[in-house]
Amino acid sequence: MLNIKNLHVQVDGTEIIKGLDLAVNAGEVHAIMGLNGAGKSTLANTIAGRADYEITSGSIQFKGKDLTAFEPHERVGEGIFLGFQYPVEIPGVSNLNFMRTALNSVRKYNGLDAMSAAEFMKLVRAKASELKMDPEMLKRFVNVGFSGGEKKRNEMVQMALLDPKLAVLDETDSGLDIDALKTVAEGINTQRRSDTAVLLITHYQRLLSYVQPDVVHVMIGGKIVKSGGKDLALELEEKGYAAVV
Amino acid sequence: MQPDMLEKYEDQVWALAGLMSGTEGLRMHALKAAAEFGLPTKSAEPWRYSNVRALRETVFTPAVAAKSKPALPGVVVAEASARFVFVNGRFNEDLSDMGDLWQAAQVRPLANHLMSNIARADELVRGKDAITCLNTALMRDGMVLSVPAGVEIDDPVEILHITTDNDKAGCHLRHVIELGEGASLTLLERYVGDESGYWTNSVLQARISEGARFQHIRLQEEGGKALHTAKTFVNVDANASYRATNINIGASLSRFEANVRLLVDGASTVIDGVALAATGQSHDTYTHIDHLMPSTTSAQIFRTIADSRGKTSFQGKISVEKDAQKVTADQSFKALVFDKTAEANAKPELEILADDVKCSHGATIGALDDQAIFYLTSRGIEPATARRMLVEAFTADALVGVAFDDIKTALMERISDWMAERASTLDTQE
Repeated sequence: MLNIKNLHVQVDGTEIIKGLDLAVNAGEVHAIMGLNGAGKSTLANTIAGRADYEITSGSIQFKGKDLTAFEPHERVGEGIFLGFQYPVEIPGVSNLNFMRTALNSVRKYNGLDAMSAAEFMKLVRAKASELKMDPEMLKRFVNVGFSGGEKKRNEMVQMALLDPKLAVLDETDSGLDIDALKTVAEGINTQRRSDTAVLLITHYQRLLSYVQPDVVHVMIGGKIVKSGGKDLALELEEKGYAAVV
Repeated sequence: MQPDMLEKYEDQVWALAGLMSGTEGLRMHALKAAAEFGLPTKSAEPWRYSNVRALRETVFTPAVAAKSKPALPGVVVAEASARFVFVNGRFNEDLSDMGDLWQAAQVRPLANHLMSNIARADELVRGKDAITCLNTALMRDGMVLSVPAGVEIDDPVEILHITTDNDKAGCHLRHVIELGEGASLTLLERYVGDESGYWTNSVLQARISEGARFQHIRLQEEGGKALHTAKTFVNVDANASYRATNINIGASLSRFEANVRLLVDGASTVIDGVALAATGQSHDTYTHIDHLMPSTTSAQIFRTIADSRGKTSFQGKISVEKDAQKVTADQSFKALVFDKTAEANAKPELEILADDVKCSHGATIGALDDQAIFYLTSRGIEPATARRMLVEAFTADALVGVAFDDIKTALMERISDWMAERASTLDTQE
């Protein structure tokens, strides 16, 4: 599904990703672990197409297409979802309006009719309830005044609504208490199907107790230096990065 | 003003005095005063952000009557109590619809009002600057609307101004609104026009008696080459309120001035506004709220957006007189600029002589939030839609006071349309 070859990425003229290779197949969950500054978030932002992340060489293929040919919003239509480490607060825009506009934009991209307000309300209420989000939060402005956990829960509701083929979750587990962590894990596990893939970017092994990855990668200095099964995450936690790689 | 320009306007004054006998004294005095004040230059502090050189260099001829029936613009208020249409500065009875308003209120065109009762001319604001004085000297028509005590007009009254084919010609309009004790009225004042280089110079004066409520919505969508200068003078009595929302979208240069005097305890005003300046446009708003008595309140929310080489300006003066204790006055101005060539100016001015008052003011100028745009696009929303959502959110605070949903929707649509027109230029910037 996702095939990255020899990727080099610069931000403000500084090379952050220095020759990264990664292949993620449908039905798989991959975890990318690494210390701060390893380039994990840069990878997530590059996949999402954020401006200022300049690909100097290498390629990113998604479902056999050159992903870099698509604008950020088009990538969502193609089936990519980026879960933010720090979801952005948008005063004046209601969560409901935001989510409905997002869903209908993706539907439009895929040649589907817009969902009616009534149908959308039913869907979003169901998703919020599955992810234990207070329905009142749907009426509030996007992420404004939300706690860290509420913001991440909100990300999971958006993911469930958009139902992506590939979810790239950038430190979605950071700053969560155990209840919120479990909810987020449930959200990810629900999204885990034979036709979808998940790329989890994380500092800690903690989330991986609830979401079992198929492959664990260690990222250091802008490259993947080691890959292995789920035991690699435990080993990292126990012995530290220096000992493992 | 140059003496030769004065002479040229003098001919216009005599022509109007001939049309409305008894007004010559009022007009000639006003013209003399206009000459003494002189048309403003940028060195005059309240005019530092607007260049009205065109007015100093050109004698605008009297607007001529439209040769044919002009097209009416789209409906803003679905159910109006009455619609008064002025074409090229003249009341047009055929296009107007009096509705049932005449049963509840006194309504008459200014020309009739002046001719039948010249003593009432003394109640007209004469002005303390050249542009208002010129309005007094050259006013040709307008609406005089009196709502008797206790009468509440539920549906809005619309005054629509249309100007067509009037290059280098001026329309000087004067509207007078009087609300008796406990009366209420919503007025939608609209300006539209074609691409001729005309000048609209409009003055609206209002007296709001004790306990009365006046909601005033101004929608300025003049043609792209027009000059628009407008002033409102409002006196607010005890426990009465004046609530205004000013939208400036059209004209090459617009200058809107609101002078509100809170005369008696409990008087209040809310003056909000949105201005959208496209390339080459300038919108200047000047407000002066005078708190003369204790326990009067005012609040202002202005939101403006300037595209490349567009300019928006806001000057907000608040005076609190010596005995006016327990006054609350808030002012908030926020501007968005799309690039480095766009300009936004903010100048709050507080003149507070009382010691027990609560006054606040804030001004911010910035760009659209890139992080928010990326967040929205990362959920599949097109960049143009993302920007529109952010702009709608940005301007929403300034539209809160519009109590009619149809009017509010129409105003929001105009803001969205304006953003849609900018979509292609903004996309290429990214």
